[in-house]
Amino acid sequence: MATSKKMITREEWEKKLNAVKLRKEDMNTLVMNFLVTEGYVEAAEKFQRESGTKPEIDLATITDRMAVKKAVQNGNVEDAIEKVNDLNPEILDTNPELFFHLQQQRLIELIRQGKTDEALEFAQEELAPRGEENQAFLEELEKTVALLVFDDASTCPVKELLDLSHRLKTASEVNAAILTSQSHEKDPKLPSLLKMLIWAQNQLDEKAVYPHINDLSTGQLEDPSE
Amino acid sequence: MNSSPPPANSANGDTTNNVVNGQDLNLNFLDKIRLSATRDAKEDEGEDLPTELNTINSAGGFLVVSPDKLSVKYTNTNLHGHDVGVVQANKPAPIKCLTYYFEIFVKDSGIKGQIAIGFTKESFKMRRQPGWEVNSCGYHGDDGFLYRGQGKGEPFGPKYTKDDTVGGGINYVSQEFFFTKNGAIVGKIPKDIRGHLFPTVAVHSQNEEVSVNFGKKRFAFDIKVCLMSVLGTGVTESMAMGYEATERNKQQMAIEKISTPPNIGYGLVKTYLLHYGYEETLNAFNLATQTTVPPIHIDQENAIDEDDSSYALKQRKNFRQLVRNGEIDTALAELRNLYPQIVQDDKSVVCFLLHCQKFIELVRVGKLEEGVKYGRLELAKFVGLTGFQDIVEDCFALLAYEKPEESSVRYFLEDSQRELVADAVNAAILSTNPNKKDVQRSCHLQSHLEKLLRQLTVCCLERRSLSGDQGETFRLHHFLNNNR
Repeated sequence: MATSKKMITREEWEKKLNAVKLRKEDMNTLVMNFLVTEGYVEAAEKFQRESGTKPEIDLATITDRMAVKKAVQNGNVEDAIEKVNDLNPEILDTNPELFFHLQQQRLIELIRQGKTDEALEFAQEELAPRGEENQAFLEELEKTVALLVFDDASTCPVKELLDLSHRLKTASEVNAAILTSQSHEKDPKLPSLLKMLIWAQNQLDEKAVYPHINDLSTGQLEDPSE
Repeated sequence: MNSSPPPANSANGDTTNNVVNGQDLNLNFLDKIRLSATRDAKEDEGEDLPTELNTINSAGGFLVVSPDKLSVKYTNTNLHGHDVGVVQANKPAPIKCLTYYFEIFVKDSGIKGQIAIGFTKESFKMRRQPGWEVNSCGYHGDDGFLYRGQGKGEPFGPKYTKDDTVGGGINYVSQEFFFTKNGAIVGKIPKDIRGHLFPTVAVHSQNEEVSVNFGKKRFAFDIKVCLMSVLGTGVTESMAMGYEATERNKQQMAIEKISTPPNIGYGLVKTYLLHYGYEETLNAFNLATQTTVPPIHIDQENAIDEDDSSYALKQRKNFRQLVRNGEIDTALAELRNLYPQIVQDDKSVVCFLLHCQKFIELVRVGKLEEGVKYGRLELAKFVGLTGFQDIVEDCFALLAYEKPEESSVRYFLEDSQRELVADAVNAAILSTNPNKKDVQRSCHLQSHLEKLLRQLTVCCLERRSLSGDQGETFRLHHFLNNNR
């Protein structure tokens, strides 16, 4: 089948690759951005020392943020909420959805611990008022309270709320909110670049035949297979 | 310089291998120094932008352009269709970007209000309205029609008159012309004119007067600013976004939908750290990923082993530390001790870089006399060697300044230069790995991450070049410094 695509040989392509002006500092910045956004404080500190790359935010704020994340991951939601407010009281004030999810997580933990009375009281006093203001919150609340109805949680249709992964979800939400409040992007840039690479290759496929990188983990260049 | 090095012998680190690698190193690290030298130069795409009206090829007899070349007035008496007062911008619209846009403000709509804004080619007949001839387009104020190459236009938008601000733009992604009135989009049409296009303005009846804005003043139409970032969170995406930001966003959304192997970012960071010998960071990183909840499974142990990129990790880390601390003498001594094959040839790139760095360190602390002595002893031999001479000269130039850190060669004194030398030593040590397969010879030069970034850049460049060189491309530096 005849195509009108431009054929680029491996040699030509490698020449173009080598001609790209790429700075070491920029790559270091990309790595530092990854470490910082993921919250790896020690790694970021060491990287600063070993490469001279400056972290884009104060590393002390990462430690605080990680403490909050860890608290949620361990189910200590009250502690987490306190820490968030210490860090920046505006975060929960301006994020009603996040605050609701944290409260919801707290409720889940009470249920998990079998503290039924306390759970009900908490649901009525803290969560019900929010449910009245917001339909989505109300639905979430009802789902959560449903956990109490079942003796054996494993038979409950909403049992995934009890999963540890739900803690992680809430922890992620808090992490993102803190990063945003610090005017920092909540996702590292590196994964986006990888997606861009796949996209760029797909786009170029429409117009040219050229060596691809198919295995992102090695960056190995492969000749086009027609 | 050969582009393909001769095949290496069984890689046991003999001189042949070093020379082969020396050629590779040469291309890379010396060029990187040259790159540092041009860093301060503006990193744009090299296109001149339209800034004012072109008084030379305008329809001279029919109009007059103001002294600041940003206003035009019709001075003739309009008698027929071939005495339009047309004027183009001094430069064509740039194409290596997402969009181009400019605006006019109608100061006076004269007797008939026959004003037009549009785009024309260089060869346009400067007595006709834009859009009345082929390869031109124009949005006319008297009828609100859009003309694009035929005498008869098509209904397009509202008419416009005195005190209106009208804009014309090109969207290189969708390949469309678009027009605005008083800050709102009026409409768009496909752009099927190829080649460079000049922003064009026309006036055609007595006393019509129009001023032009090529970007010096704020536009009425919000092309660049993304309101979301200005107002902060809480503003939903569906609320007004800048036009360009919306275009970029469409692309972004398509990209975000693409799936990648899980945790691939972690694997790439790990191999990056291994490649460059950032051992302490790597250890902290490994600890962190293993103790997160849930532990991050880095799926790439195979790839890492194949590369054997943990070869000589401790030594590479140590050498990097020595270089970064400016302890060049120790570094050289240790290299002679541990990896003599690297420093055997005193004219190799690694030796050059280290001697150069020693010189730099002396200048840094003001020991100029010692620096000169050292330069004569160790660097003079590189003068006259192609590939080295220009760098040696620039480096020696440090001596000429009282405050070298403020001179044009200050990059030698920066941290990035130390990092560069450390990288060169790192690469040289990696090349001594007896387990290295021939095929992966160049692995000691580029980490996986670097290969991916290069591929991304070239794919974007090539795609743009095959699309008439129009549109944006990818540049890591810009990507990192633009908040999105």
